[in-house]
Amino acid sequence: MTTVTIEVNGKAVTAEVTPRTHLADFLREQLLLTGTHVGCEHGVCGACTVEIDGEIARSCITFAVACDGATVRTIEGFDDDPLMARLRDAFSTSHALQCGYCTPGQLVAARDLIRRKSIEPDLDIRTEMSGNLCRCTGYAGIVAAIETVAAEQPAVPALARDRWAGPAPGPGAATAAPVKPAAPAAAPKVTAPRPAAPKPAAPKPAAPKPAAPSAPSRPVEVEVGPVTVEAGETRFTQTFVLEHPGDAVWALMRDPEQVAACMPGLALDPPGEDGRLTGRMEVKLGPIAAGFSGEGTMRRDDAARRMAIEGRGSDRRSGSRASGRVDYTLADTTADTGAAATRVDCVIAFTLQGPLAQFGRSDLVRDLVGRIGAAFATNVDVRLRAPDGATVAPAELGGASLLLGVLFGRIRRAVMRMLGRGS
Amino acid sequence: MKAAAFDYVRPASVAEACALLAEDADSKVMAGGQSLGPMLNLRLARPARLIDITRIPELGRVEESADAVTLGAVVTHAAIEDRRVADPTHGFLSRVARGIAYRAVRSRGTIGGSLAHADPAADWVSSLTALGAEVLITRADGTQRRLPVEDFIQGALASALEPGEILDGVRIPRFSAEARFGFEKICRKTGEFAEAMGVAVHDPARGVCRIVAGAAGGRPVVIEASRGAGARLLERFADAAAVHDMLTEAGLAGDAYRMRLHVAAVRRAVEEIRR
Repeated sequence: MTTVTIEVNGKAVTAEVTPRTHLADFLREQLLLTGTHVGCEHGVCGACTVEIDGEIARSCITFAVACDGATVRTIEGFDDDPLMARLRDAFSTSHALQCGYCTPGQLVAARDLIRRKSIEPDLDIRTEMSGNLCRCTGYAGIVAAIETVAAEQPAVPALARDRWAGPAPGPGAATAAPVKPAAPAAAPKVTAPRPAAPKPAAPKPAAPKPAAPSAPSRPVEVEVGPVTVEAGETRFTQTFVLEHPGDAVWALMRDPEQVAACMPGLALDPPGEDGRLTGRMEVKLGPIAAGFSGEGTMRRDDAARRMAIEGRGSDRRSGSRASGRVDYTLADTTADTGAAATRVDCVIAFTLQGPLAQFGRSDLVRDLVGRIGAAFATNVDVRLRAPDGATVAPAELGGASLLLGVLFGRIRRAVMRMLGRGS
Repeated sequence: MKAAAFDYVRPASVAEACALLAEDADSKVMAGGQSLGPMLNLRLARPARLIDITRIPELGRVEESADAVTLGAVVTHAAIEDRRVADPTHGFLSRVARGIAYRAVRSRGTIGGSLAHADPAADWVSSLTALGAEVLITRADGTQRRLPVEDFIQGALASALEPGEILDGVRIPRFSAEARFGFEKICRKTGEFAEAMGVAVHDPARGVCRIVAGAAGGRPVVIEASRGAGARLLERFADAAAVHDMLTEAGLAGDAYRMRLHVAAVRRAVEEIRR
């Protein structure tokens, strides 16, 4: 519990909140200000729109604890506001509401729009109000109501232009209590806010755990083919060339344990008798961390140097489920240096179900899977160049913890320079 | 849904924030929380502790120099939209800001938070890449480094931030009065996540001509002309098939539909500055 003092509708309120309580729940459940409605609870629908220090905000994705020292105004706080009174009338006249669930948010957002933009000659109300969803009216009435009031060019309150440029309330706010760590860690003081001259990035510490590879890693360029999504399954191809002869590459890539060791985040259990593989895969996508426990099978064709691995697993924490297939074939080729090399053609397919899939950003997951593939290729290369017996620490994946992040970021840097011939 | 329980701290300085971040790997920095908030509520993200950096005075700073403007990390999209902070692009920043999500999100969402979150569909990720902006980073030991935005963004939700580091600002170069900017975003619904984004920047006086294709699921793709070759590069965007090939060669991948969206977005952005 943390103590906060928030001015709500003109009255200072000091209360205990848990950090995870969002402002809408605080207003509704602790202050019984139920005019603020909770719709989607992830910032999409606008039903929970309130004012914080004069600016409208989503109270469902703003934590009450972060509003300590702020001034909050809910729909109940606009009872005596002339502009809001005018909007209420216009909403009635134009039939701008039916069930009323979105109406508090619509009114607060509409008043803010008029405050900021009623003098704009070509005010695009539909676009401006697109952050507030209504499932009854078809919006015509809402737009008409706002148009009517905007056309009257009402007097609008102004906010100071030189106010804090960050999210309200900012550093100047009088808070209930400073929220500080119990024992502030000693940290070097930053005196100058200006940056020093650019410096090369510090070398990344190698991942801890087993012996570090004695061969330095070099990035392997991975080509990603077109992506298709069919019946929920995302499929794409990856191709990379390893500067090692086919026999050596196959010796590694036919062995599931060695393959797993090169796969960032994958820990394989000791092999079972029936050829089934079980293990755990940790993946990190920005602030999202998931650990998929599962099992898989493999089919190997030594003559064709082809391997098909299938697996499925679930993340207990989020309840997400994933399944995937990787099918790879090795082919002999020649490196630019003329040395024997091996091309690895992979077909990757995966399906995701549960909250992670509902997040609805399959393109982000695809990028992540692509980066896992690139890190895998680099690890295979390192392992093949490491002397016998040397083990390579499995790389962690995810943002900065990606073992070869910086290096491989350079090479995959998708910049094409057009040469200025004779211009 | 409601967020899972977390602890909350509110450091008063960047140094304090870095120290807090360094002492607990399961801490997450929160600025406006407009991307992290939904992820917390959906329980996709479950950090043990949130470090709220919005009360750190230096993160709200605006510094002007002869060749650039530096915005502190927690300057909101709304402050940029309303031109309450200096704009070295003669209004382009304000225009980009105006199109981000919705006003009630822009009032709390921040430029630094957007970059640190590294969502490929974020407007700043593509537009600041096109502008050649740099992120300023403070390390846990108090030293600082800076990095071009295009190198900072390493993939979907993946940035070059190391453990214990905080993105403390963005340095945006000044453009000449003759600079032209094009911006096109394709989304199914206003304010939703973009499916394709095209940004074109041409400033002959500075010898800058950059085209960016963004919102492609990974890092933005940059096509850049060397000094003096800008006009010729822009001409190549008249041909949709050539643009498709350029984007593919530059590393953009997607099915036929998505590729059409990307081609359309960059061509519209270029068309805007050729007009």
